Amino acid sequence: MPAHPRGPSLAGTGLELPSPLARLRRETSALLDRLAPTAFLGPAVLIVLLFSLFPLVLSLYISLVQLQFVPGGFHLSVVGLRNYLTLLVGSDRQEFLGALARPSPAGWAVLAGELALLLLWLGRAAQARVGPRGLLGRGAVAVLLGAAGWLLVHTLAPGGRPGSLVVTLVYVGAGVSVQYLLGLGLALLCAQSLPGRRFFRVVFLLPMMITPVGVAYLFRMLTDTSKGPFYPLWKLLGLSNFSWVNDPWGARIAVLIGDTWQWTPFIFIVLLAALESLPQEPVEAAVVDGASGWQVFRSITLPGILPVSSTVILIRMIEAFKIVDLPNVLTSGGPGTATESLTLHAYVIWRALDIGGSAAIAYLLLLVVTILAVAYVQLVHRRALEAAS
Amino acid sequence: MRRVVPYRLLVALLAAAAVASFHPEVSPPAGAAAPYAGITVNLVTFTGPQIAEPLQRRAPDFQKLTGARINVITVPFSDLYEKILTDFATRTNSYDAIVFDPQWMGDFASAGYLEDLTNRVKADKELRWDDILPYFRNFSATYNGRVYTIPLDGDVQMVYYRSDLLERDHLAPPATWDDYLAIAKRYNGQDLNGDGKPDYGSCIAMKRSAQSYWMFWSVAAPFLQSRGTSEGSFFDTRTMTPLVRNEAFRAALDVYKELTRYGPPDQLNLDVGDTRGLFTAGRCALSLDWGDIGTLAIDRTTSKVIDKVGAVVTPGTRRVLDRATGKLVPCTAHTCPYATHGVNHAPFAAFGGWSCAINHAAKPRVKDAAFAFCAYMSAPAQSNVDVTLGKTGFNPYRRSQFTNLSLWLKAGFSEKAAKSYLGAIEASLRSPNMVLDLRIPQNAYYEGVVLDTALAEFLAGQLTAEQTMKQIEDGWNKKTDELGRAKMLASYRASLNITR
Amino acid sequence: MTDLRPRKRRGPGHVLARGASYVALSAWAFLVLFPLYWLLVTSLKEPIDVYSGPFYVPFVDFHPTLSAWRYIFVDLRNDTLRPYANTVVVALTSTGITLLLGATAAYGLARFSYRPRLGGVLMFLAAVVVALVAGSLDVPWPAAVAGATGLFLLGRASAGRRIPVALGNDDIAFWMISQRILPPVAVVIPVYVLFQRLHLLDTRTALVATYVATNLPLVVWLMRDYFRSLPVELEECAAVDGASRYRIFWSIVLPSSLPGLVATFLFALVFAWNEYLFALFLTSARAQTLPLTIAAQNATRGPQWWYMSVLILIMIVPVIAMAIVLERYIARGLLVGAVKG
Repeated sequence: MPAHPRGPSLAGTGLELPSPLARLRRETSALLDRLAPTAFLGPAVLIVLLFSLFPLVLSLYISLVQLQFVPGGFHLSVVGLRNYLTLLVGSDRQEFLGALARPSPAGWAVLAGELALLLLWLGRAAQARVGPRGLLGRGAVAVLLGAAGWLLVHTLAPGGRPGSLVVTLVYVGAGVSVQYLLGLGLALLCAQSLPGRRFFRVVFLLPMMITPVGVAYLFRMLTDTSKGPFYPLWKLLGLSNFSWVNDPWGARIAVLIGDTWQWTPFIFIVLLAALESLPQEPVEAAVVDGASGWQVFRSITLPGILPVSSTVILIRMIEAFKIVDLPNVLTSGGPGTATESLTLHAYVIWRALDIGGSAAIAYLLLLVVTILAVAYVQLVHRRALEAAS
Repeated sequence: MRRVVPYRLLVALLAAAAVASFHPEVSPPAGAAAPYAGITVNLVTFTGPQIAEPLQRRAPDFQKLTGARINVITVPFSDLYEKILTDFATRTNSYDAIVFDPQWMGDFASAGYLEDLTNRVKADKELRWDDILPYFRNFSATYNGRVYTIPLDGDVQMVYYRSDLLERDHLAPPATWDDYLAIAKRYNGQDLNGDGKPDYGSCIAMKRSAQSYWMFWSVAAPFLQSRGTSEGSFFDTRTMTPLVRNEAFRAALDVYKELTRYGPPDQLNLDVGDTRGLFTAGRCALSLDWGDIGTLAIDRTTSKVIDKVGAVVTPGTRRVLDRATGKLVPCTAHTCPYATHGVNHAPFAAFGGWSCAINHAAKPRVKDAAFAFCAYMSAPAQSNVDVTLGKTGFNPYRRSQFTNLSLWLKAGFSEKAAKSYLGAIEASLRSPNMVLDLRIPQNAYYEGVVLDTALAEFLAGQLTAEQTMKQIEDGWNKKTDELGRAKMLASYRASLNITR
Repeated sequence: MTDLRPRKRRGPGHVLARGASYVALSAWAFLVLFPLYWLLVTSLKEPIDVYSGPFYVPFVDFHPTLSAWRYIFVDLRNDTLRPYANTVVVALTSTGITLLLGATAAYGLARFSYRPRLGGVLMFLAAVVVALVAGSLDVPWPAAVAGATGLFLLGRASAGRRIPVALGNDDIAFWMISQRILPPVAVVIPVYVLFQRLHLLDTRTALVATYVATNLPLVVWLMRDYFRSLPVELEECAAVDGASRYRIFWSIVLPSSLPGLVATFLFALVFAWNEYLFALFLTSARAQTLPLTIAAQNATRGPQWWYMSVLILIMIVPVIAMAIVLERYIARGLLVGAVKG
C-alpha cells in the first residue's frame, strides 16, 4: 500500500473520514509544510535585518560627517571622505597604518615568497578557467593580501612602527592560530574516556564565562610587576627592574596571552561537541584493523571535524578583529600606541567626539574583514565541507 | 531513543522573565508641608564611592526637609561624559541634574544644554556663594560670564612628600622641578618603608587614557604661564597658536622624561590608583596628585605612612616662557609678577572640581528642586563636613573650610598633617597664577587624544621631543581649523574671562 | 550501554600516554584556576594589602577581611542585586529566544534550498529604507509602513525579473555572520536612537531584543554545522511515516543534536551575560546589568581591585552552575541506536 505523504493511510480500515474536516486538516498541514522553509528561516532573518539596517545606514552616514556643538544642540556637517582620507593618507596615517621603514632581508624574503604564492594561485585559477567573476574576486583578494603583506613587512621592520591595523592583524593571525591548536589539543584530550574528565571539561569552560572587561582587569592584576602574583618569579629571574609594559612586543604578547586564556574555551567546547558527535563505528573498525592513534586522527577524526573547525575559526576570526578590552585595560594601547587595536583606536577618538573618524575606522574594518571572510569562505570553508563529505 | 527537550522549562523561563520585566511605577509619598513634595530629580554621576556616596547619603535628609526625591543614578566613570552627552543631544532628557566635571562645560554650555544659574546663586543665602574661593567662582563655575555650576569639590594638583624622610635628612620640600628631581634621585632605590624591598624616588601616574596628561601639564604649566590665570597656558590668546613649540615646552618634556628614571619600572602603565597605593604603602618619596593622597594617608586600611606625609604647592621654575620669542627667560619682577622667592608657581586646577549642573530642558519645578539640592550639598553646613572625609572624594574649595581645623582633626588628621595639607591647598587656590584647564569645545580631543597620545609615544620612545611637539601642534591646529579658528579663539578667550 | 570496543592489552605505552594526558590537562587546569584563586584572595584583602605587594595565602601572608564582600552585599545591596537580577533575566530570556529562532533558521538553511532573487531582496531593502526615512521625516508610522509594503509588493516581481541573480543558502548565512563584523562602538549611538524612538530606553526589553539580534548569527552558524552533520536518513524515515516538517524538527532533529544545542546555548548565554557596551548605553537606572558595575569600579581613584574581584566572582557563579548541569549533555552515547534498526 503506498504510504500517504501526509499521514497514515486509513484506506480500507473502515474508518475513513472523507468529511470536509479531514480534507481541511490535510490541506492545512500541506500548506504549513509548504510554508515550512519560510517559517523556519523567516523570523531570524527578519529580526537581524530590521535590527541591523538602521544602525548600518546611520553609522555609514556618520562616517561622512563631523560633529560640532552649536547653540541649541549639535550639528553634523558633511565632509565627504575626509575622515577616511585622514586615516589612510592624512594626519592619522601613522596611528592607523604605521610608520614605514625599509624591510630587513628576512622581510624582503617573506614578501617575495608571498607574492610568488599569490601569482601561482592566480595562474592556476586562470588555467582552471574559473570565469571572469571568479578571476575578478580572486584578483581583489590577491591585491588585498599583497597590500597587507607589504604593509606588514614594512611596518614590522626594525625602525618601522605598526599602526592599529597591522597590530590587529597580528592579534588575529597569531591569536586564532594558537587558540585553535590549544583548543583542539584540549578537546582531543577531554574526548577520551579518562576518569575525572568531567571536572576538566567544566573547569576549561571557566575563562570564557568571565565578562571581557573583568578578564582585562584580572590580567592587569596578574601582570602587574610590583604587586602581581608573579613578582617573586620576576625577582628570581632578575627582571625586577624590567617591565613588559615598556616593550612593544612584550605588551603585545601580554595581550595575546590574555586573549588566548579567555577564548580557547570557545574553540574547545565547539570542537569537543563535534568530537563527541562523531560516529564511533569507523574508529572502532580502524582500530580493529590495526591503525595507530595518529592515523585514526588524521584520516577519520580530523576530516570529521573539519567543517566545524572551519566554522569556528571563521567565527573566532571575526570576533578577534574586534578586540578592545584587553589592550585598553592592560596598557591603554601602550606603550605609546604599540598595542592599540582598530576598535581601541576607534573607541579613543569616539570618546573625544570624533564620531566621524570612529565610524570611518569601523567601516574600513568592515571592508577588510568582509573581504577576508569572503575569501576564507570561498577558499577554505568550501574545501573543508567538501573534504568532509 | 528519545530525549526530553526541556520545553516546559523553556516556557517557564520565558514566562518568569516576562513577569519579572513588568514593574509598576511606584509613586512617591506625599510630603507634609514640603515645598517640593512629589517631585523626583534624576541626578547622574559616576559610580563611587567617591562623589556618589555623599549625594546618596544626604538625599534622604534632603527629602525630609523638602519632600523632593533625589534619584542618584551612577554610570561607569570612563563613560559618564558620553552618557550625559547622548542623553542631552538626542533630547532623551532622562537626567535632570548632573554632577560632572566643569571642563565639559566647553561642550555642554556652548550647546546650550545647561541651565544658567547666575541669578539663582546670588539669591540663595544659605549657599554662601561668596564663601567659595574666587578661582572657583570666577573661572571654574562660569562660562562666557554666566554661572552654570555649583562647585562641590575643589581640584588642584600638588606634590606630596615623605615628611619623615625629608626631616631626617634636613631637606626642604621641593620648590622647583630641579629640586624635585634631585630629591627623587636621592631616594630612588632605597628602602623607604622597612619591608626590605627597594623603593622609588617619585611615583607619578603616566598611563595613557588615565588622566596622566594632567600630570604633565602640572609640570609644564609653571614654564608656560606666569602672568595670572587669564594669560592661559594652552594657546596664545591673540592667535590661537598652540604654545607647544618653544623652549619652555621642551624643558617640560625633558623634566617629564627624567621623572621616569626615578620611579617604578612600569611607571608608564601606572594610573592614579596605582601611584596613590604605592605612596600610601610607603614606597615612594614623592608624588604628584590631587587632594586624594592627603585623606588616604590617614586611613588605617589604606596607609602605612600615617602622619608621615607633607604636601606642598606644585614646584615651579626660575625660567619662564617669553611668548614673543619662544625662549625661556629668567624670572624677574616683570616676567614673573607672582613669583615667590624668585620661583614662578602655577598650580594647576586639573579637571576642575566636581560640580553640580542642571539640565536646561528639565521641567521648571524639577529645576528648582535640583538647584535646591545642589545648593544644599554645597552649603557650608554640609560641605565643610564632607570635605574632611576621605571617602567622599570632595576636596576643600571654600574659605571657611580652611579656618576650622577641628573638623579635620576629628576626621583623623594630626595637627601637623592637617596644617601641611591645608596649607598646600590654600596656597595653591589663592595663587593669582592658577592655571585653568582647557575649556574650549571638544577639549577632550585636544587633551585626551592629541596630547595624551603624543605624550605616551614620547615616553615610550616612539617619538623624539621635537617630533612630539610637532605632533601636538599639528593635531591641535588641525582640530582648530576644522572647528573654525575664529570661533575657537573667541571660546578660549571667553573661558579665560578675557574681555576686550 | 556495553562498551563494544575490543580490549587491547594495556601496555606501558598506554599508561604513559594516560599520564601525559593528565599532566597536560592538569597544567591547563592550573592556568585556568590560578587567576580565579587570585581573584578570591584579592576580594579578601584590604587596600593596603593589595598595594603592598603580592600576598598569597589568607591568615598566613595577610589578614583576610570581609569588608569588600560586606560593601558589595550590604552597603550597596540594591545596587548589586538589581543589576544581578537584570543580568539573569535578560541573558536567560534572550538566549532562549535566540536558540529557538536560531536553531530553526539553521535547520532551514541546512535542509531547505533557498533561492531568493537579488532583485527582490534589494527591493525589500529599499522599501525598509524608505519607511525609515519617512518615519524620521515625521510621517506617521502606519502610513510609512503601508507605503513601503506597497512599494515592495509592487516592485518585487519586476525587480526580480530585471536582476536575474539568485542568492543561495550560503549567501544568506554569510550575510548573517557579516553582521558581527562591525564593532559595537560604531553602531551604539544609532541603536540608542532607535530605542529612544521606540520609547524603550532603560528597559530589559531593549536589551533582550538587542542580544537576540546580535547573537542570532552565531547560533545559526554553529547549529547549521551540527544539523548538516546529522544523517538525513532519520528525517527521511520520519517523513515517509507521515510526520510534518515541524514535527520532525522538534521530535527528532533537536534531540539528536543536543550536544551542539547545549554548547551553543552556553555561548549565546555567555555572550548575552557579559555584554558591556550596549548595556551601558541602553540602560540608565533600572535595567543596568552586572558588567557595568564591574567596569564602574574603575573610578577616579583608579580600579578598586577588591570590589571588582567580588563582583567578577559572583557574576560567574550562575554561569558555572549552569555549565555544570548542562555539561553532561555534551556527551557521547546519545546517538547509539538511533540510526540503526
